[in-house]
Amino acid sequence: MASNGGGSSPPSISSPDVRQSSPLAPTNSSPPQSARSGGGRRRRGSASPYPSSPSLGGFETPPHSGRRTPSGAGGARQRQNWTGRFPPTPSTPMSTDDIPPSSDAGDEDTPETDGGGGVDATPVYVWGTNISVQDVNAAILRFLRHFRDPRDAGRVMDEGKYMRTIHRILELEGVQALEVDAHDIYDHDPDLYGKMVRYPLEVLAIFDIVLMDLVARIEPLFEKHITTRIYNLKSSICLRNLNPSDIEKMVSIKGMIIRSSSIIPELKEAVFRCLVCGFFSEPIMVDRGRVTEPRVCEKEQCKATNSMTLVHNRCRFVDKQIIKLQETPDEIPEGGTPHTVSVLMHDKLVDAGKPGDRVEITGIYRAMSIRIGPTQRTVKSIFKTYIDCIHIKKTDKSRLHVEDAMETDDSKASQSPEEDFLSDKIEKLKELSKLPDIYDRLTRSLAPNIWELDDVKRGLLCQLFGGNALKLPSGARFRGDINILLVGDPGTSKSQLLQYMHKLSPRGIYTSGRGSSAVGLTAYVTKDPETGETVLESGALVLSDKGVCCIDEFDKMSDNARSMLHEVMEQQTVSIAKAGIIASLNARTSVLACANPTESRYNPRLSVIDNIHLTPTLLSRFDLIYLILDKADEQTDRRLAKHIVSLHFENPNLEQLEVLDLQTLVSYISYARKYVHPQLSDEAAEELTRGYVEMRKRGNHPGSRKKVITATARQMESLIRLSEALARMRFSEVVEVRDVEEAFRLLEVAMQQSATDHATGTIDMDLIMTGISASERQRRENLVAATRNLIMEKMQLGGPSMRMIELLEELRTQSSMEIHLHDLRGALGTLMTEGAIVIHGDNVKRV
Amino acid sequence: MVGPQYDLVGNPLGAVRATFERAAAAAAAAESGGNDPVAAFRGKDWGASDLFRSFLFEEGGLDKVPVLNASSIGLIKPNTLVRYRGMVQDMLGTEFYIGAFKDGSTWRTNKFTDFSPFSMPHPCESHLWERNLFHCVPAPGQNAWTLESSPGPDMRMIADCLATEQREKRKRDIDNDDMDVCLYILLYYCNNSGFKIYYSHLMLCFKQVSENDHGDSSSFSKKPKEDDTLASSSSTEVPATALEMNGGDHHIPGSTFSCLVKVYDMLESQVKLNDVVEFIGVYTFDPELAAPTDNPDDIMLDLMEDVTAQLPPSKVPRLHCLVWKKLSSHDFISKVPVVEPSSSLLKGIRQSLLSHLTLVLGNDELAAQCLLLHLLSRLRNKVDVVTVGRLSLNFTGFDRESASIFGNQLHKLIQRLVPYSQAIPLSIEYLNTATLQPRKDNKSGRLVTGVLQLPQGAHLTFDETTLQTGSLTSKGVENTVLLKSLMESQMVEYDFEYYKLEMATDVQMLTLSEGKSNILPSDLIVPFRPSSVPAVNAGSEEFESWRWYLATVRSLPQSTEPETYQMIQDEMVSAMRDDRSLGCSELSRWLTMAQIMASSFGEKSLSMEHWQMVKELERLRKERLQ
Repeated sequence: MASNGGGSSPPSISSPDVRQSSPLAPTNSSPPQSARSGGGRRRRGSASPYPSSPSLGGFETPPHSGRRTPSGAGGARQRQNWTGRFPPTPSTPMSTDDIPPSSDAGDEDTPETDGGGGVDATPVYVWGTNISVQDVNAAILRFLRHFRDPRDAGRVMDEGKYMRTIHRILELEGVQALEVDAHDIYDHDPDLYGKMVRYPLEVLAIFDIVLMDLVARIEPLFEKHITTRIYNLKSSICLRNLNPSDIEKMVSIKGMIIRSSSIIPELKEAVFRCLVCGFFSEPIMVDRGRVTEPRVCEKEQCKATNSMTLVHNRCRFVDKQIIKLQETPDEIPEGGTPHTVSVLMHDKLVDAGKPGDRVEITGIYRAMSIRIGPTQRTVKSIFKTYIDCIHIKKTDKSRLHVEDAMETDDSKASQSPEEDFLSDKIEKLKELSKLPDIYDRLTRSLAPNIWELDDVKRGLLCQLFGGNALKLPSGARFRGDINILLVGDPGTSKSQLLQYMHKLSPRGIYTSGRGSSAVGLTAYVTKDPETGETVLESGALVLSDKGVCCIDEFDKMSDNARSMLHEVMEQQTVSIAKAGIIASLNARTSVLACANPTESRYNPRLSVIDNIHLTPTLLSRFDLIYLILDKADEQTDRRLAKHIVSLHFENPNLEQLEVLDLQTLVSYISYARKYVHPQLSDEAAEELTRGYVEMRKRGNHPGSRKKVITATARQMESLIRLSEALARMRFSEVVEVRDVEEAFRLLEVAMQQSATDHATGTIDMDLIMTGISASERQRRENLVAATRNLIMEKMQLGGPSMRMIELLEELRTQSSMEIHLHDLRGALGTLMTEGAIVIHGDNVKRV
Repeated sequence: MVGPQYDLVGNPLGAVRATFERAAAAAAAAESGGNDPVAAFRGKDWGASDLFRSFLFEEGGLDKVPVLNASSIGLIKPNTLVRYRGMVQDMLGTEFYIGAFKDGSTWRTNKFTDFSPFSMPHPCESHLWERNLFHCVPAPGQNAWTLESSPGPDMRMIADCLATEQREKRKRDIDNDDMDVCLYILLYYCNNSGFKIYYSHLMLCFKQVSENDHGDSSSFSKKPKEDDTLASSSSTEVPATALEMNGGDHHIPGSTFSCLVKVYDMLESQVKLNDVVEFIGVYTFDPELAAPTDNPDDIMLDLMEDVTAQLPPSKVPRLHCLVWKKLSSHDFISKVPVVEPSSSLLKGIRQSLLSHLTLVLGNDELAAQCLLLHLLSRLRNKVDVVTVGRLSLNFTGFDRESASIFGNQLHKLIQRLVPYSQAIPLSIEYLNTATLQPRKDNKSGRLVTGVLQLPQGAHLTFDETTLQTGSLTSKGVENTVLLKSLMESQMVEYDFEYYKLEMATDVQMLTLSEGKSNILPSDLIVPFRPSSVPAVNAGSEEFESWRWYLATVRSLPQSTEPETYQMIQDEMVSAMRDDRSLGCSELSRWLTMAQIMASSFGEKSLSMEHWQMVKELERLRKERLQ
């Protein structure tokens, strides 16, 4: 039984399967609330869109007197005097609370029953259910009139959300649908929501009638029909979970349109003409797919039988289309294939989505039996199912919602957070961003199965987050994308990193330098074999616009192809002038390239530049150039061994660091890219200047010009980008000094500059820091400090030397750390470069 | 109750209905409260499948159930119990049907049938139930020996039955066409599926028929000639097609015998795409349903045509599954030794298999060792892009000639050892033309298979010696990318038109090439150094034991002591110290090989001994590489 929002349970209408309540039902089921609202309306004959309720046609009920005998209404309805204001003036909406129109039992009707009308004061039930039409009617009206958006709470509104919408529809031409958020219905009246989901056909029909009545009251001359489109149901169902119990229910599913049929005109009203006298019949509504052809001419004078013929031109048709909806890839369980369902679109919904679109559809799930043919006796027991679409909404596509994060002029984007990022999700992300170790945690989460290379991963993170693109009023553009080059020994999992980045980034393109040509990377012009027209085809870089273009085996690329990258990497466009086409295509892509050193393995005797062997013009376009060197180090070897072993045996003993799962990582990055646009603080700017000057100085070391990578203005830009990306990782709107410091550190570590002898440009292999985690670095620093203290304490300046073993013993007694001889050796090496000690073989001497 | 009152093989539907009516009556009695008694049966079994289960597995009824395959389809009557083994090639979603309806006062069910045996009163109380549709095909590359082991009543018996039935039928009405069609079907299938043994016998049956029936000798007078040609061609063709190094024709659409299986009461996630499953159920065929409906009176229906429309029952038999079971390679082995796989037994078989491999590989023991490890490898774990446990093998040093000698031998051997295998000649033309990638045809709604749609545990042999310089078309490039990703990450991308979906696979890949193959970067590269021509002599019993060995060892669980971890880590560190060129991938491969080595001896855990063996193997291999 319907009970509206906490009303007293209805007194007597009994069993739930009353098909058609008795006309003499003594009581009315409405709870007291209905007294305040009800649905007193004047019926408009043509209002009903549902031909299955023929009784509505031309059914004009005079307005009832508000006062009904208490016996008839069961005493439940307390009418207020509203008749005086009826009919309302067209311009003033009847929205004031104190004048609720009454329910008018006489014009209530169900779409299903042939309630021939005129049965006053009868609760009419939807066939086979306990839904009282009056109640639903009243509830809908109440909802439309009184629902106020909680978000509007601050503003003073004299009208509810939907009344305003209705007014807008009336003002605007062309809009013929009222979109109703199902969440609003639920908030207002959970019971109505439940009924609507369970009996959508009936409730929606009533909804339309109520709506049309309301419209008619506001604007009696409004001729067009307004449809109700419900969307945003509380729960959306997965396509593969649709089952027989969902039949005839309202469902909401997400999916991808894979196919759409051509538009089919469907007959709605048929007009016939008598072949004998030429008399045109009244339009005949199509009822459940069938037209009853008049057998006899209706004209009095004619009365010819079987003379009527259909006149196509005068019939009314509506558009219809069938689309196939398929599950989206993320909903398909592993090892399954996607399910599909047919969706029936009517009227305005036709062509609302194209194949390839991801949509969310709200509709009624229906089944249809299959008859094999009129002549065959066996009826197939199989049903075909489809969804009658009510509402269609396009949803977003890409994995990372980068959209226009790279766009130079979208600083406004941050002001309208979209619903893709649900507020609770945002909260979670923000909480994450407040963690003190978020930077390290993100680093760990990136390619967790690739061992170590922490600093490289940090650089890649920066690439994913990206800096701010800038467009000056003068037209000059500064890219925000960070380009990275990985140069390293074979077998240092560069390719795996690339693969991972390719998987993670939106519109990532993965190519191998060996197989890429210049045109394949940028764009090329082809001739269409059939028409002879020249066609511009996009290459990898253009295709990865706003994404990451991963180029493996960069060194094996032809020089010609590499030179094509110059333009892309700085101007972020691809210009084509060929075969009559002059075009400039956007290629706002971050380039992630990896290469082997010239001699396959890094040669420590050659300088860095000689090892990389790329033109300085190209090199300077990379923000970060990582030298991933495979260096003999038992610690790292051991970690590698441990890593491999843990891959092979699922060993529970191995510590599991807290990492973000891929999904969270992706949404974290996309949120940051979209909504966080950090600005440089003054202190940070100062620090940048200072650091840059220092870098320039280093490059000016006598005789080093050709041997080291000198700092240029490009480096300055890189540093800004990196610091912005680092601030973005913390969801910080301000670039702080520590971001700048970290950016400098990344740049240094990447180039192994701390280990480079600036005089010769070679790298001291023992000093390489790449692949050493922060904690390890900390540990080493501590060790250096401890060793220094010990030496200061134990040894005199120029005094007798000490054996390394002795030092080790001493250190071990002092600290709780586990110290190996080679650790100590490293620490002593550092001290030696400081000039504090001298090492002769195994002996250490303070100087 | 004393035994089933129905012939479960001959009239399974009768038994289904009987159990249903009993269950419905019981439910109705239990719930007199006006609730629908049948509603509870949605999505679950009321005892029918239990009945069949006990009949099949406990009372030994399994052997009485005929196998539905290309050769027997003409012989099996509709609405009888059959069994079918196939790979789930496509999942066609669910289908809603009237599961139960009220005929007067009794409830009847339509479960396990396509149409109602009783006429349904038009408006009646009914329940809508659902069932899953799977499109199944014989597993691609399935080797002949797996068919031998599939049990069931003898074909001869069926043929005899058919003959008698046919005779009766002919007495009723003399119908030459029927007979001819039937004969053709038989001949066709005999030729195509290697059932040559039965051929002569069948001919005999038919001769008898024709002798008994002297009404029409005309049809048979012309027959023997055709038969002779067919028979003679078949005798040459069968071994040729079965053993030729060309598995490509498994994928010509329509050439395979597919089956539409309707499965009840199952979560779809229980069966995955490309699983090989045995279904036991009711084979239905209704000529009325099979007749093409040529009056698409309703445009709606026409547009909402479902996939099954493209699988006409006359070509694709329908099977309503009662009992199903996933098959592993163990299920194909006919004689399973009852003993526990003891280590000494496994060692013995290992030795004999290894010596046979060595013989086939022209006395190259190193290659034989590697091949054994390769055959025993399987995908153990997969973390993101890293796969653990695979061991693809690349024999280098082949030229065209040696590839044809050793390659053929090798492939023949593999065919007799593993359940599914294919040999692919990797030529420019093949790469440019073959359809490797399975693709969803959104027009027809079906998954169009490609060569790389393979069951788990399939074996592929690529012959790269046929590859010559030339240009690849875009399709060729796509194909090479597919092959590479299959090799590197055991993933095959399926094309779903608007997006690609990666499906995990577990495929063993062996490449024969001149130099190191770059198109197919294998884990293990072994220069092949034969010292004699391949010699093969092994009995079928030996093969059986080897198959059993491979299947058993591959499924052996692995457990390793924590001390071993430490030991291996130390080993790795010292190895890295000795050779700086060792990377993550090499060490990972070593560990994989050591693990397989351990299990090849029947050991459940890895020990130092096996690690050393692998290191020795590596040393020998490295020597050859130089």
